[in-house]
Amino acid sequence: MRLSRGYRIFRGIAIALILIAMLVPLAWMVLSSFKTNVQIYDTSAVFNFTPTLDNYHKVFQQANFGKYMWNSFLVAAVSTSISLVLGVPAAYSMSRFVMKRQAIVVLMARVIPGVSLLVPWYYLFSNLRMVGGYGVLILSHMFVALPLILYILMGFFDGMPAELEEAAQVDGLTSIGAFWHVVLPLSMPGIATASILSFIFSWNNFMFALVLSGAETKTLPVAIFDFIGYASIDWGGLMAAASVVTLPIMVFALFFQKYVVSGLTAGAVKG
Amino acid sequence: MSVPVQNPASGAAGTVNASDHPRPSQSGFSSWANRHRKWLFAAPAMIFTAAMLIFPLVWTVYLSFTNAQGSVRAPKKFIGLDNYVKVLTDTDRFWPAVGRTLVFTAGVLVVQMVLGMCIALLLRRAFRGQGLIRVAILLPLVATPVAVGMMWRLIFDPNIGPANYLLGLIGLGPYPWLAGEKTALATTMLIDIWQWTPMVALILLAGLTSLSDEVDEAAAIDGANTWQRFWWVTLPLVWPSVVVALLLRGIDALKTFDILYATKGRGGGSFHEVETLNVYAYGLSFDYNEYGLASTVLILFFALIVAAMLALTSRQKER
Amino acid sequence: MRRIYALGVTLALAAPLALAGCGSDEATQSPSEVVRVTLANHVWTENIKARFDEFTKETGLKVELTQLGEDQLSDQYNVKLNAGSSDIDVMMYRPLQEGKLFATNGWMANLTDKVSSNAAWDWDDYQPGPVKATTFEDKVVGVPIITETEVLYYRTDLLEQSGFSTPPATLDELKQMAAKVHEDNPDIAGFVARTGRTAAVTQFSSFLFSYGGDFDNGNGTATLDTQAAMDAYDLYGTLLREYGPTNVSTDMSWPEAMAVFTQGKAALYVEANSLYKNATDPANSQVSDTVAFAPFPAGPAGSRPYNIPSWALGVNSGSTNVDNAWKFIEWATSKEQSLLNQQSGVPSARISVWENPEATADYPEGIVLAAQEAAENGVGHDRPLVVQVAKAREIVGQPIVDAITGKDLAASLAAAQTQYQAFLDDEK
Repeated sequence: MRLSRGYRIFRGIAIALILIAMLVPLAWMVLSSFKTNVQIYDTSAVFNFTPTLDNYHKVFQQANFGKYMWNSFLVAAVSTSISLVLGVPAAYSMSRFVMKRQAIVVLMARVIPGVSLLVPWYYLFSNLRMVGGYGVLILSHMFVALPLILYILMGFFDGMPAELEEAAQVDGLTSIGAFWHVVLPLSMPGIATASILSFIFSWNNFMFALVLSGAETKTLPVAIFDFIGYASIDWGGLMAAASVVTLPIMVFALFFQKYVVSGLTAGAVKG
Repeated sequence: MSVPVQNPASGAAGTVNASDHPRPSQSGFSSWANRHRKWLFAAPAMIFTAAMLIFPLVWTVYLSFTNAQGSVRAPKKFIGLDNYVKVLTDTDRFWPAVGRTLVFTAGVLVVQMVLGMCIALLLRRAFRGQGLIRVAILLPLVATPVAVGMMWRLIFDPNIGPANYLLGLIGLGPYPWLAGEKTALATTMLIDIWQWTPMVALILLAGLTSLSDEVDEAAAIDGANTWQRFWWVTLPLVWPSVVVALLLRGIDALKTFDILYATKGRGGGSFHEVETLNVYAYGLSFDYNEYGLASTVLILFFALIVAAMLALTSRQKER
Repeated sequence: MRRIYALGVTLALAAPLALAGCGSDEATQSPSEVVRVTLANHVWTENIKARFDEFTKETGLKVELTQLGEDQLSDQYNVKLNAGSSDIDVMMYRPLQEGKLFATNGWMANLTDKVSSNAAWDWDDYQPGPVKATTFEDKVVGVPIITETEVLYYRTDLLEQSGFSTPPATLDELKQMAAKVHEDNPDIAGFVARTGRTAAVTQFSSFLFSYGGDFDNGNGTATLDTQAAMDAYDLYGTLLREYGPTNVSTDMSWPEAMAVFTQGKAALYVEANSLYKNATDPANSQVSDTVAFAPFPAGPAGSRPYNIPSWALGVNSGSTNVDNAWKFIEWATSKEQSLLNQQSGVPSARISVWENPEATADYPEGIVLAAQEAAENGVGHDRPLVVQVAKAREIVGQPIVDAITGKDLAASLAAAQTQYQAFLDDEK
């Protein structure tokens, strides 16, 4: 269909507006992270300042964000990996055998309010002597990752023709062998999508880490609060901390853009 | 959850699996595993989730019938439905929190759906620079919500924030934004809209892309105008995607916590102006140590979420 | 190609798995070598943290520090202590905020024997007010580390410009000066203070006391319906409403209020003395040259600022490491450490430190004067002395925000009186 000139102009303006709305706030955050507090207070000097790295120095030297970044990464990576081990076969089975009710049990985890889990979990795990390390934190993040992985991969397996396994079984593979040698390699794009998204959600998770992490296991979203209530609000440091938390995950997401989009839109084109 | 596509071959696959004879060459375990793979595969994930879920659920239900307060290990009395009566007749905190939760959820959903649809329609046909805009809308989506909250706190700061500065340049404001009793909830909704409209747009775009142009073109030939074509042709076809977006966003919007905590702290401000059910339950647990009441609120909250989900999915079935 | 790519991602994500397995043992080090300390974000913490090496050298114990903001700190305590967790040994807590609740719940170890075990460390050296606040049912449960009183922060340049050569001595003068400065400089607030419903309660308390009022009579009767309460709430609200920052927010705790003052956007500010370094430090404050301090202005009942132990160290009753925990407290609260902390601007609860001229040599004149006056006329609490402090603060804080936003104060106070009385009856 040909587009009218009027529509093209309208589209140009609309796209410019979307770009401004989406990007300017983020740009402001990053820009402010290179300013001193005195410069931030002067709203009229948007670009007219000498950039300083002091805020980042504070974030990494005093506030030890390097360590927290590693914690965030570790918790996200490990919880994603274990969830994949549990979630991929489950998603396969639930999709093939249409186990809707069983799937709902797992997906329930996505629906329940997190606040109701915090105190009981801590109580349970401390009686099991499991608090203090990364253990509880990883388990709690798996609780977020598993339903996500299941949801995305069930959609993926639903769309995968069953003939492939049948052919493999005719060739002499057992059904588990067919899953391992035929289905799994073909599912790599789906698995990649699910793991990338699960990694992002774990990285961004705040509430579980807020109460379940300790000194050595604190993750980035919790560490941000170190910049509030210490001195009078340290906006420069706070923005540097916020940038340190968000920029890595944004770069990560851009790098795997296609997978992120297909994960977020999983389930959108079925039915 | 949408119904899986019925593959014509899947019926055949079922019979193959059912008649899956153990092969003589296999060991006992292997054949057992192959015969039971349905449950072998599904069980670990289900056991994990159930293990993490059952204790908190039973515990929460139990506490909601007691006067647990101060410390959860302290002796507590069974008080029947007293907590439920107390919460359901509480017009000071509970019902306003229910109201705010609903206003917040309904408000952000409506705006996100409309804006998301506009963006999706805009991106439907390829054009130069489309890649750039796809990147741009992905960024808010993956940004850490707590960090996003901090960022907007600076932007909306009544004195040093760029929002008031820019509005001041065109003679508007200053507005109190997050600091105002009446503007705070709307401002947090604005932040949520900024962060999650892109997700709606992406879901709807995926739905739109899977449609063929033919019906649309046929309608155009029949003389339908743009609006009519959207309303009578495109929207019904893309409706399943709309429901998915509503469901996913709806659950998350009801449970919004990070942004509210990061911008207004505990208790949702001096007048509890952004205190939703989730924030209220958190405050009851961690500020007041009223574990009995908190559990009651959580159970009612959970019921609300489930009811909302059922309402959405049953609508879908009717169509 | 794409499949290999995807496989690579999955492997990369799986790699740290093995590492995590090793990492989780860390926290289970033998308790005899480690003391697990949880501290709040505070100047005191920064000071003491820098000297942990000395402690390790002296005792051979390694300190494992968790440092958190006030709110996050109390969230963690609530979860961990509730679960009977043993992974906290020493805990920094607020005697007037959580003290009673924690002690009632049995979360605080009894330190009575410990404090009297070491004559050189000298428990008798502690001021009686703070000691009372960390004692629960005749058992010592904490050692006070920081005391606070409310003082007036003011800008010498702005007051002089408006024709005032001395800071306000009375609350009436405070109001006049705030009005005049604001009139002369419409962009600048005559007065700023905390405005958050619960955050403001403590700073408002000195106003209430100086009018001769209190939240309750100490025997379970709410006293928010008195004329003194009415006048105090009215003044606090009026100051912020009429002469405060434009668009005054009702969310300000001290970081926000302090920011307004240190940005040079306010002339008069009432706040805890322990935070004065934020205003005098040129790196954070634009008014470091022009800020001065004065005792809290007098009301009809004189100048009656709160004078309280704001933070203390206690030991988790679930800790299996009480002896080492006490070693840490003993070291961190010793006369030497208290002096060092006092010299860097954190007021201590030790009598000997206050008597030592070295301790306050670097202090601004007004801060020393205010501390001396507060030691005589100060009131030992700055919030309702109850178990459920958070709840009580919300109730008595409501009229503050109502006054600031110009709502019907009389109605708001009447409602608060009823609620607070019901609350007190409930706690009895």
